[in-house]
Amino acid sequence: MEVTESYHIRLEVFQGPLDLLLYLIRKQKIDIHDIPIAIITKEYLEYLNQKEKINLNREAEFLYMASLLIYIKSQMLLPREKALEEEEDPRQSLVQRLLYYQKIKGASAILKGKENEEQLRWKRTFLPPMLEREEELNLEEVSLFDLAEAFFSLMKKREKEEFKAIKGKEYTVEEKMKEILAIIRENSYLDFLEYFTQQESLEEALVSFFSLLELIKAKIVIAVQEKLFQSIKVWLTKKISTKGKTDV
Amino acid sequence: MYNRLKNIIEALIFISLEPVNMEKIKMVLEEFPPEEIEKAAAELFQSYNSNERGTQIIKTGGGYIFSTKPEYDRWIKRFLKIERKNKLSPAAIETLSAIAYHQPITLSEISALRGVDSSHTLKTLLQKKLIRIVGRKKSPGKPLIYRTSDKFLTYFGLNSLEELPTQEEISRILEEEKDFEE
Repeated sequence: MEVTESYHIRLEVFQGPLDLLLYLIRKQKIDIHDIPIAIITKEYLEYLNQKEKINLNREAEFLYMASLLIYIKSQMLLPREKALEEEEDPRQSLVQRLLYYQKIKGASAILKGKENEEQLRWKRTFLPPMLEREEELNLEEVSLFDLAEAFFSLMKKREKEEFKAIKGKEYTVEEKMKEILAIIRENSYLDFLEYFTQQESLEEALVSFFSLLELIKAKIVIAVQEKLFQSIKVWLTKKISTKGKTDV
Repeated sequence: MYNRLKNIIEALIFISLEPVNMEKIKMVLEEFPPEEIEKAAAELFQSYNSNERGTQIIKTGGGYIFSTKPEYDRWIKRFLKIERKNKLSPAAIETLSAIAYHQPITLSEISALRGVDSSHTLKTLLQKKLIRIVGRKKSPGKPLIYRTSDKFLTYFGLNSLEELPTQEEISRILEEEKDFEE
């Protein structure tokens, strides 16, 4: 988790715009169902202004919420032909979202406590599977051709799912290599079949496959198959795996 | 014979790395009457709660597993040379509870609930096997659908999703936080 932490530091301690909004509402001791939009909008903008530099890409969600608040404010200021009760209160959907979010937030606090309690109870599961690593020595390394064949047959199968992913995020080999190593560190091995069925799109799967090949070429990981027709597992090579491992 | 039954149950739980449920125990001990097994198990768990032992058998993730008693955490850490255990980040816990209460759920639904893009956190949770993919939604783009895993339950010491914090518990903690701020 530590690796990703810096990515998640957003506007000091707030997890997202809803979090900030909830904080402001509480600070003002306001009933969630009856938010005075003008006051909250002002506070919200003031908070954003405290940040001298805003990373547009990352903080877009906060700005989106600010514009939503201004929109609601303007909606409420405009004179209406019809009486308000006939139309929907523009605050309604925001209130609903806040209520949902508040519940998640409360549950998270309770779960956090349970995590702390549970971590004091050590179970035997944390032991690294030493036995399995020893066995690894007797295993046949999967050739690159076998690996490619497994990959293509998997993709063929997936073709039938007929999913057309919308082109969006781009994947880099470097990113995927990091991801593969993270999975192996976490679970001591990576299940080839499981990993590639999780890929969102063909493009992502291809990048992942190249990344895996790179890792094998650099002798950082090794792909083995315990028995014929069984799933291929990817392990760290001996040298690297002796570095310490911590568990969840 | 009664003591023998207790010992067998103890041995079965001891050897398992994952929680064993009562059904499984009864299935293995087919030659014993189910009521006897339950009675013996209850007595076994009771005996572990005495002050004479450093371990106990706890019920978590819907099954039984050996664990050390919380008060001996200090010495275990020293023994294993572990200073502290990794904890989930606030973002990860928040994402988990969004999934837990609204599953089955897609990435965009999670992000909408939290008001933040959650794709990165989701990947980490998948890697930790705290959530799992259960299929694709039949909607444009066929997005993946996620659920919490059994490991999620064990991680938080829950036996089923029904043991998630209830609305009352959540309201109570929100009230407490409010009082604290005032």
